[in-house]
Amino acid sequence: MKLYYFSEMPHHEFPDAEGDKYPSLRLEFPNRFFDRNKAAENYRRYLTEYELADQVGFEGLMINEHHSTPSCVNVGVNMTAAVLARTTQRAKILLLGNILPIEDNPVRMAEQLAMADLISGGRVLSGFVRGVGVETWWANTNPVHNRERFEECHDLILKCWTAEGPFRWEGRHYHFRHVNPWCLPLQKPHPPIWIPGTASPETAIWAGRRGYTYVPFLVPFDIARELFDYYRQGAAEVGRTVTPDNLGFLICAVTADTTARAVEAGKHFVWRMGPTLRAPVEWFAPVGMRSRAGQQFALRARPRSLATMSYEELRDGHFIIAGTPDEVAERFALVRRELGVGHLLLEAQESRMDHPTTMRSIELMGAKVIPAVARL
Amino acid sequence: MPQARAICKASTSAIPRCIMRRMRPREETITVGGIGVHTWIGGQGDPLLVLHGAGGNRGWTRWLDLVSERFTVWAPTHPGFGRSGDADWMDGIDDLARFHLWFIDAAGLGRPHVLGHSIGGWTAAEMAAMSPGAINRLILVAPVGLKPETGEILDIFFYSPAQLLAKTIHDPKTVPEWDALYGTPPTPAQLEIAERNREMTARLTWKPYMHNPRLAHFLPRVTNPALIVWGREDQIVPVECGEQYRRLLPNARLTVLEKCSHLPPIEQPDAFARLVLDFLGGESRR
Repeated sequence: MKLYYFSEMPHHEFPDAEGDKYPSLRLEFPNRFFDRNKAAENYRRYLTEYELADQVGFEGLMINEHHSTPSCVNVGVNMTAAVLARTTQRAKILLLGNILPIEDNPVRMAEQLAMADLISGGRVLSGFVRGVGVETWWANTNPVHNRERFEECHDLILKCWTAEGPFRWEGRHYHFRHVNPWCLPLQKPHPPIWIPGTASPETAIWAGRRGYTYVPFLVPFDIARELFDYYRQGAAEVGRTVTPDNLGFLICAVTADTTARAVEAGKHFVWRMGPTLRAPVEWFAPVGMRSRAGQQFALRARPRSLATMSYEELRDGHFIIAGTPDEVAERFALVRRELGVGHLLLEAQESRMDHPTTMRSIELMGAKVIPAVARL
Repeated sequence: MPQARAICKASTSAIPRCIMRRMRPREETITVGGIGVHTWIGGQGDPLLVLHGAGGNRGWTRWLDLVSERFTVWAPTHPGFGRSGDADWMDGIDDLARFHLWFIDAAGLGRPHVLGHSIGGWTAAEMAAMSPGAINRLILVAPVGLKPETGEILDIFFYSPAQLLAKTIHDPKTVPEWDALYGTPPTPAQLEIAERNREMTARLTWKPYMHNPRLAHFLPRVTNPALIVWGREDQIVPVECGEQYRRLLPNARLTVLEKCSHLPPIEQPDAFARLVLDFLGGESRR
């Protein structure tokens, strides 16, 4: 099983009491609480951590993108990919991912990903996501078009990468009369495509049909298995065999020299389970963004919101894994046995987890955990 | 009865029942462009097309009952709303306006008066701008459609249904039909319809939000007599938009109801019905 390092690049640089005054930390928490100097320091720090993760042997460096929120100030996943393409040497760069429905120019997206792939020497893993409602508000994209735009944007990017130009695209949501990108990915036919899942059976089936790597985020094991079944259903429709390499899973994890230190550090993940997800339902799921089937599955997938769980419950449920290298390796092996995944994505820094703690965790993962789970 | 003769002339043999005394309200599905349009019909006299707002077709409420004493009310449910058929292909209110001009033909309404509330008012204004000769008098009730010059139209999709209702109605205690309309928790079927209504509203109004930047350029074409009705306390669409409509429509007047928010027909059904009858009655007496 391969491990991936991920930080949301949080900006938890304000008094929590200020955030509590607002209905959410997203969209409406005023950006006067954005500290420019801290942010400048943090970006350098987070990139240094990614660079160490590359050096110690992580299979990949996962990056993502959000907007209008201190929970993640990585506001341009392609921009970060371009930086890492040049400052890292061997790890895959997993963009998970670009938010396709809010993209107005898929041709530019195809070009930027191709350029990152070229600069990195073919290390891009290109994740595509539908995004949470917050990004739909940020971009002011009609949520009722979310799935249509996701699929059409995907189709056009793939065509940019695989069809000879020039060609014309007259779709439902995208219209380009002269498509002929003079920047094509190094990997042929194109960078591998990854798709995250939280609650949408349609997305799992769609990814299964195409053989894309499918990664549920922070769901209980039984829900992950159910989503993998939908994925297998899609794969079976086209006669495709599913292997562990098609499946991934995302959890939060930190290691340290002692159990006590790791458990203390792991508390920083609680921020991303509750306070950063607090918002009126309309902000995360604007009308029409989810199908009826998706809505019903989401209700079952989250009988209890992560926000209502204690730190101990989050650890018991494997949403957070914190311990010595031996302890976390053992828990990772359990995830592998339970879910049969080939890729384990570790959200490995959060909230106010400091730089030395984060660096030590990365070192220990590289020295002890990565070799231990590589055999699984 | 002059009204009855007028409608018979307008719609020829399509509605033989127009010669009867005032009709009991009934529901019909009228097919337009392959879409089944669930429609409330009732009353006597000249046809009055009533176009509902984002909240959907509330059915035969008190103000309709009052107005239908002198007019034959046709109240279709927009495609994509309530029990009408889907129209996923629609992208904006101009599509809905073209659709309802077609509805007028399909239902054989001749040249009806048109009354629209909120997004139904915007639709009515677009219809009038597209084809002023196709309609008679125009009544716009707290219509969206124009960008306010100073304020903002509330982002209705950003709030929960309960939060919205509190903003939409000034004082529930003064609403005669409060219990009938809002007094009991919605059934699963009603919740499903409410969700469907919100989705179709989003489809039609998301961007530019609740307005058409081109509409103001076309409104001066509409010389039809027009009545604009607004609630002084409207928390959804600022009353300044009513002033804009009045300025842009050459033959319009604006009436603002006190202690009223965004739902004059529901909040003050008797006063509202009187305004409508006074305005429309003027022509039929000529």
